[in-house]
Amino acid sequence: MASTTETKQKKMLILKSADNDEFEIEESVGVQSETIKNLVEDGFTFVPLPNVYTKALIKIIDYLKKHANKTDSNDEEIKTFDKDFVNTTFDDLFELVSAANYLHISCLMNMLCQTIADRIKDKSPEAVRKIFHINCDYTPEEEAKIRKANAQAFEGQFDESLD
Amino acid sequence: MSFKSIVRGLRDMKVRIGNISRTVAERKHRSNRTVCRIVPDVALSDTVEGRWASLPPKLLMDIIHRLEESEASWPARAVIVCCASVCKSWREITKQIVKTPEECCRLTFPISLKQCFVKRDRAKSVYRLYFGMTPFATVSYEAILEHAPRKMHCAMHSIPFSSIQEVGSAPKPTSLPRSFDEKSSSTPLSKAKDISSTVTAQEPLVLKSKAPWWNEKVQGWCLHFKGRVTVAAVENFQLLAAVDACHNIPVTEQDKVILQFGKIGEDIFTMDYCYPLSAFQAFAICLSAFGPFI
Repeated sequence: MASTTETKQKKMLILKSADNDEFEIEESVGVQSETIKNLVEDGFTFVPLPNVYTKALIKIIDYLKKHANKTDSNDEEIKTFDKDFVNTTFDDLFELVSAANYLHISCLMNMLCQTIADRIKDKSPEAVRKIFHINCDYTPEEEAKIRKANAQAFEGQFDESLD
Repeated sequence: MSFKSIVRGLRDMKVRIGNISRTVAERKHRSNRTVCRIVPDVALSDTVEGRWASLPPKLLMDIIHRLEESEASWPARAVIVCCASVCKSWREITKQIVKTPEECCRLTFPISLKQCFVKRDRAKSVYRLYFGMTPFATVSYEAILEHAPRKMHCAMHSIPFSSIQEVGSAPKPTSLPRSFDEKSSSTPLSKAKDISSTVTAQEPLVLKSKAPWWNEKVQGWCLHFKGRVTVAAVENFQLLAAVDACHNIPVTEQDKVILQFGKIGEDIFTMDYCYPLSAFQAFAICLSAFGPFI
């Protein structure tokens, strides 16, 4: 039952990661990214992505492929896929969210930002620092002052875990 | 768009590089194609720390904004304060996102408002009244016997017992270390220090409800409100200082009503208070009287 459009060769794109791996994907899959779409519109078929590493790019291509095939019937399947997709370490989430930001894939960015927000909800400032690899630039005195002034925020139990 | 122009510029240069790609399952390698060399982004670092300490502020803003939106009430809203405590740049971003209570009807930082709250222990009928982050009074209600009026006990953590000892030369409210009028005129931080030291150093004033007497004529418990209270109600009370013999307080002073509250109509109540209570403290204590159903 091959229609004429299917027999025609699909338009393909090459994406190149920051660590110089190349991936071929269908153009229709790639243009879910605004950044790629802009380049495609300008006639590019080879897209170097100097800010996106291979590890993240593989996951993002998976995501784009899955979401490109969105139909009315596979809603649940995509939900399950998304749930698995974000079930990873914070470092991976940051890597992915930065990549999604660079590629301008807004639905993916929204999902990742929401996941990060949900997962830091009960963390202490110290745990958040560790998770985000942030050096605290408050002096111990400044920090004590903040804690005292905001004592009601520090009364409850915090989740100190880093995952 | 700068990225496009870089790509275009590099393409024009037609720089050929060899096969430096690593083998990846999904990768398709084209033998006869022009490959562009991309100038490495100097801002990128290979260390994880270098990469994520610089998570784009736009994304961080997005994340904190989501928390601010979803966590509208305390205690969940503590997360916003925690974000502001992570480091200076997070604090700046958080402060940009959080609107004043007037704008968004949400309380976040104590600096934005004098936050007062009541913590209720329903089971024990205990009400802890807070001014800012400091408890200023703990009011507890106790039902001793069935059909007898409930007893009230009110520890004023903010008022030292000594305030009622110095009869005749009573210190003015403004000279009290924890007077609330004085507190509001100074910064919360410097005051917080004074409060914590005062609280431990001095014995607090404790108020207790005056015991009513049984009136055979009306078959009920009675208190003299000097005409200010006219309707029998569970909320009616008079508070006296709880005094020990060792305090050397004259009997006349011991009987002095410091706060009284009572019903005069279906939905109207009178409140009378005197030194050393402030109007704010008196109102807060009275309102707690509506709470316990004992």
